[in-house]
Amino acid sequence: MASTMLWASRAASYLRISVFHRGFSTVLKDLKYADSHEWVKVNGNSATIGITDHAQDHLGDVVYVELPEVGTAVKQGDSFGAVESVKATSDVNSPVSGKVVEVNEELSSSPALVNSSPYEGGWIIKVEMNDAGELKNLMDSEKYSKFCEEEDSKH
Amino acid sequence: MRGPLKLEVWKMGFVNYLDALKLQEKLVSDRKLCRIPDTLLSLQHPPTYTLGKRRTDHNLLIPASELKNIGAELHYTQRGGDITFHGPHQAILYPIISLREIGLGARNYVEKLESTMIELSSLYGVKACAGQKGETGVWVGERKIGAIGVRISHGITSHGLAFNIDPDLKYFKHIVPCGITDKEVTSLRRETSTVLPSEEAIHEQLISCFSRLFGYNTVVWKENPSILSDHEEIA
Repeated sequence: MASTMLWASRAASYLRISVFHRGFSTVLKDLKYADSHEWVKVNGNSATIGITDHAQDHLGDVVYVELPEVGTAVKQGDSFGAVESVKATSDVNSPVSGKVVEVNEELSSSPALVNSSPYEGGWIIKVEMNDAGELKNLMDSEKYSKFCEEEDSKH
Repeated sequence: MRGPLKLEVWKMGFVNYLDALKLQEKLVSDRKLCRIPDTLLSLQHPPTYTLGKRRTDHNLLIPASELKNIGAELHYTQRGGDITFHGPHQAILYPIISLREIGLGARNYVEKLESTMIELSSLYGVKACAGQKGETGVWVGERKIGAIGVRISHGITSHGLAFNIDPDLKYFKHIVPCGITDKEVTSLRRETSTVLPSEEAIHEQLISCFSRLFGYNTVVWKENPSILSDHEEIA
């Protein structure tokens, strides 16, 4: 057990992720987060968006992802699509405003990628941002981790 | 722990499916703006088939044009889940609640809806249980007694659960219920030897199980609930 933890910590610092040993969800340091549990990775004007590890864990097994059309306009905080799990459809909201330039077509045949790889293979859309200033409305990894802890302690 | 939790219950009797859908949309919007507390609609529908967001209409086994002949409607919705049937003597609960305020995710919410129906069943000596992975719902052995289909938008729920008290099970023969081919549908009437009280009493028990499981410490009953909200005026 101890050696697994040591390996996990070393792997974590190599990959620059935070690993909470109490079994909390993974939160990546370089991403920004919305309070509706979506993450965004910014590269210049391009934003890649998905849902977080915390979100996928609370959703259950994703069986369907509703993707927007390329070219659709998105607004910060507004819904752009949905995921279905355990007979529940949950809206997915965009953390930034802009235009959808790419969607992850893989999710149509492999929706479970959202569960198994929420930050990599399970990315949902890519957006060309029209207002990078909006990013200040989002949380960094530390704030988001605290936010998740607070939410989970409510019940 | 969180503060006192209030639930407002609307006992609505028979409601047409589309009217209920429009009402839910209005209530979701009101709940999101914190204009209303967590709200629970308790009702029944006339014979209605409904599909979820994935539009799995291949699971409707008769042509849509024939539905009128059997006295049923068909509606497409944004909820999760597959095709199902709603009708008289089936108790429906549509909770319009804020999952964010109580810190629940979709999975835990749905599990509590399952528990609500399991607890109700146990009041009549019926041993029901939650479905296996991928088969959300409530089962007595291999027979389905309760169905769930939910929508969550900005953390607010709509649609909900349907519990078979004593619906006409023949209606289920025209669909592959919930997309599961080899399992039967059943009802409380079929599964218990206990004499059933009035349906109103069973609806109240269902509401009671729900409010207890979700931890509501204040339950108020809305006076004269109607499809028209307090904000709308009759011209």
